Amino acid sequence: MQTSPVLPARGAPARSLHRFANPGRFLRISGRVLPFLSAAALVLTLAGLGAGLFLAPADWQQGDAVRIMYVHVPSAWLASFGYVALAVCSLLSLVWRHPLADLAAAEISPVGAGFTALCLATGSIWGKPMWGAWWVWDARLTSVLVLFFLYLGHVALVRAFDDPQRGYRAGAILALVGVVNLPIIKFSVDWWNTLHQPASIGLTGSPTMHFDMLWPLAVAALGYTLAFMAIVIARTRAAVLERRIHGLLMARAEAVR
Amino acid sequence: MTHLPFIVSAYALGILVPVAFAVSAMVRFRSARRRLAAIDARPRR
Amino acid sequence: MTRKRRRLWIVLGCGLGLGSATALALTAMRDNLVFFVSPSEIAAKAPAMGRDFRLGGLVEAGSLRRSTEQGRPSSRFRVTDGTGEVSVVFTGILPDLFREGQGVVALGGMLPDGSFRASEVLAKHDETYMPPEVAEALKKSGKWNPTTGKPPAAATWNTLEPGKPVGG
Repeated sequence: MQTSPVLPARGAPARSLHRFANPGRFLRISGRVLPFLSAAALVLTLAGLGAGLFLAPADWQQGDAVRIMYVHVPSAWLASFGYVALAVCSLLSLVWRHPLADLAAAEISPVGAGFTALCLATGSIWGKPMWGAWWVWDARLTSVLVLFFLYLGHVALVRAFDDPQRGYRAGAILALVGVVNLPIIKFSVDWWNTLHQPASIGLTGSPTMHFDMLWPLAVAALGYTLAFMAIVIARTRAAVLERRIHGLLMARAEAVR
Repeated sequence: MTHLPFIVSAYALGILVPVAFAVSAMVRFRSARRRLAAIDARPRR
Repeated sequence: MTRKRRRLWIVLGCGLGLGSATALALTAMRDNLVFFVSPSEIAAKAPAMGRDFRLGGLVEAGSLRRSTEQGRPSSRFRVTDGTGEVSVVFTGILPDLFREGQGVVALGGMLPDGSFRASEVLAKHDETYMPPEVAEALKKSGKWNPTTGKPPAAATWNTLEPGKPVGG
């Protein structure tokens, strides 16, 4: 697995981004990083969720139901961050024809869809006891549902063509078009009146959340972020091998013919 | 704890989703590596 | 390099066009994207009778009257946004977070007498999260009355140790 005799050796050492495009090098580096990343993700996620469940105080009006926040908020952040990562990969793929970016984009969207589904489900579970409704069609909830459908659309589109290159191209265009949804999600609670409350944590101003609740949330969010990265890297590694298998079989079929 | 069923189901989902993704990625990588080794081992014509 | 640069410009151009089109569309639809209307908007432009809409605002302090109507809990309260107010009638169980001073969104329609008949009441909580002890300390110190106003600036309480009295 260390070297890649299967792939044709690249000519002159390519400059700029394509330095990271060599799948053999990607497998080597990611193989070294992944165990540490996974371990850190596991420890931080369990620590954050455990602290949220047992150490953090209840809320003065929501009671213990506020603890759902430690799952809901990190998954909501990752739903958006994951889409940013998908858009960056799509840009690399469309403009620079980066071959690893194609594979990574195809592997990010199912994971992003999963975390968005987690965000929607935990939000629903939180909304029923607090607001009194599982779901409302306000601007925040609706725009996150649109994000979920964008992810699903990308998952389907990338796999819809016989020629994978065309799928990657179409998926990248869809992903970049969908970027307009990200500011809508972020600012929906400020631009329109919604049932969903505005953000507690922003770049400016003191967080409107007690510190005893803030640190478990930060730890859980960091853990979930590392978990998301580890999952995407692991899936991309598998995809690199699968592409190599596909290439080998095709080459063999050609040789036989 | 108040609202215990809601809290438990949210945390269960919150653990289950990442774990399911991690396990499936691991299985996929292992099977791809095995298949690749099997193909590569065969003599090429 | 020139082909890459050209592709980059195409992508940027499309992004700019799409972004401004979306911004224009959202600005145009601004008034239709509201989830609820406020009491002062109702005072300015009376909504059509018999058509359901959502009313949002704060439950006015001291306005809540609970009763029982044919075995079901019934309540009357006023919803205010600081300038206007509408009185609301609701039969059913109010959500856990419902209290005076809390934000609510009620679904229903206007009655001929100018009050609002709600078929569903949702509680809208704000973006502040604090332990009960801290809330209690703020209330005791006289810095905050949850039934009449918003909590004080976050920096004054978000690092308070629960159980200690609010200083200064």
